[in-house]
Amino acid sequence: MVNMEANLGPLKLKNPVLTASGTFGFGEEYSSLLELEKLGALVVKGLTLKPRQGNPAPRIVETPAGMLNAIGLQNPGLEFFLSKELPRLKNYQVSVIVNVAGDTENDYVTLARELSGEEGILALELNLSCPNVKKGGILFGTSAQTIDRLVRKVRQACNLPLIVKLSPNVTDIAELARAAENSGADILSLVNTLRGMVIDITTRRPFLGNITGGLSGPAIRPVAVRMVYEVYRAVNIPIIGMGGIVSVEDALQFFMAGASAVAVGTANFIDPYTIPRLISGLHSYLESENLSSMEEIIGLAHMV
Amino acid sequence: MLSRARVTEITEITSNHYYLLLEDPQMARESIPGQFLHIRIRESLAPFLRRPFSIAGASPGEGTLKIIFRVAGEGTRILSSVRQGEYLDCLGPLGSGFKPLKGPVFSALVAGGVGVAPLLFLARTLVQEQKKVFLFYGASSLGELIPVRRFLPGEIEIHLATEDGSGGFRGLATALFEEALRNGLKPGEIFACGPRPMLQALAEKNREWDYPMQLSLEERMACGIGACQGCAVKIRKGEETGYRPVCRNGPVFYSHEVVW
Repeated sequence: MVNMEANLGPLKLKNPVLTASGTFGFGEEYSSLLELEKLGALVVKGLTLKPRQGNPAPRIVETPAGMLNAIGLQNPGLEFFLSKELPRLKNYQVSVIVNVAGDTENDYVTLARELSGEEGILALELNLSCPNVKKGGILFGTSAQTIDRLVRKVRQACNLPLIVKLSPNVTDIAELARAAENSGADILSLVNTLRGMVIDITTRRPFLGNITGGLSGPAIRPVAVRMVYEVYRAVNIPIIGMGGIVSVEDALQFFMAGASAVAVGTANFIDPYTIPRLISGLHSYLESENLSSMEEIIGLAHMV
Repeated sequence: MLSRARVTEITEITSNHYYLLLEDPQMARESIPGQFLHIRIRESLAPFLRRPFSIAGASPGEGTLKIIFRVAGEGTRILSSVRQGEYLDCLGPLGSGFKPLKGPVFSALVAGGVGVAPLLFLARTLVQEQKKVFLFYGASSLGELIPVRRFLPGEIEIHLATEDGSGGFRGLATALFEEALRNGLKPGEIFACGPRPMLQALAEKNREWDYPMQLSLEERMACGIGACQGCAVKIRKGEETGYRPVCRNGPVFYSHEVVW
């Protein structure tokens, strides 16, 4: 018998494959293609206090084995989420994790407080790493001091398991991971997108409306695997690993680097059935290796 | 829905433009004019994203769908080398379709370049509804003009334009269409698809004309189903404006809705 459950400290999931925030909307679009119940968890699109329009077009551009995006956290805001999206999500037996973002510390605290009392939300993910908005987002996520202040305040404002999503656009991710752990994070998720840009040589201008965007897809996978490996050594809290996962083999690298669960983002755009395919693929892997749970392979790459 | 559609024909119909016939009974049944297929060009990381293609025709009886595409980059170049009998991973039909008016009105279709593709599908259904259909279709030169006659019923009145004057009217399809308006054409509805500047020009003129006008927009897409918001354009609804994904809320919008 194979146990597919993911054990993320205070957060228990039926399997270890989640959606990466921003790639699955609020689940509605994909619900006609696949059973949301199959997901380890649905991490919804980054939510802010007030609705956000997002960035001007063009917002995406394909790159070698990946893409740049600069959506700019377009979302309908907290009120709409609570009145429309969350009640709809309750129709599915799916674990919902809400990704929250803000311009100020107060935004995060208010969001955490408001969401904390709501039924049907399993955990919060603090987006401290969005590279595509002018204020907030990544600004909080690139120094140990700002992470520490913010996570402490949010920790006091809510009793849900707290996931802190880290940016790869930093010099030493392990230091920031430790800051998040010390200030009360229960779980870390990494990595968000890497900042990049494409120039349109015909117009001789940056291609994206936002000038720069976040790189995702298999192009960033080796960077993400390395960062999960480094963070695993630095902290004692569980890690959700992500960055360019397309195949079962890709996911296994993240577990072996130290992730207790993985998230799939850009691959959903190419194959909407990536997550169910990975779940059954991981199951088969455990069976063929005579392992009883994913726990047995977490961090194996660190063994000497 | 996701499906593996069989390629039953692929032909170069004019310089750099290909006709692709796909077999998939369910998609053929479900497709309406204005919708698109999101095609994975091949199972590799290059090209990485799917590519959206307007459906140029569907025959539920034969279980087939037509795509007409122009080779514009790496993805379409690879697609042009697909062989008969191979299968393509298609997501679709996606997006909203055109919404023709009920009743016997004159329908004017204005097309620029490969933008004619969804209008070929639409033209057939309008003729079936006993409408009188006028197509104004332009390309840069005669060599780039798709032989649209063979994809259309005989009842449709076709007016051709080329920018260099090598075939038909010399100038843009929009200029040819405006000339027809000056000569007394009174369309009850207008449908257009083509390069963005062309659609913008039509939408701006239509503020005076005030015809029911629907435009099919093109944007780079990632998911194709409205989840990622990557293909969003600014849309006006009443007093409010906001970004809406072309893949889900579009690709067809009314001309007064689009904020250019």
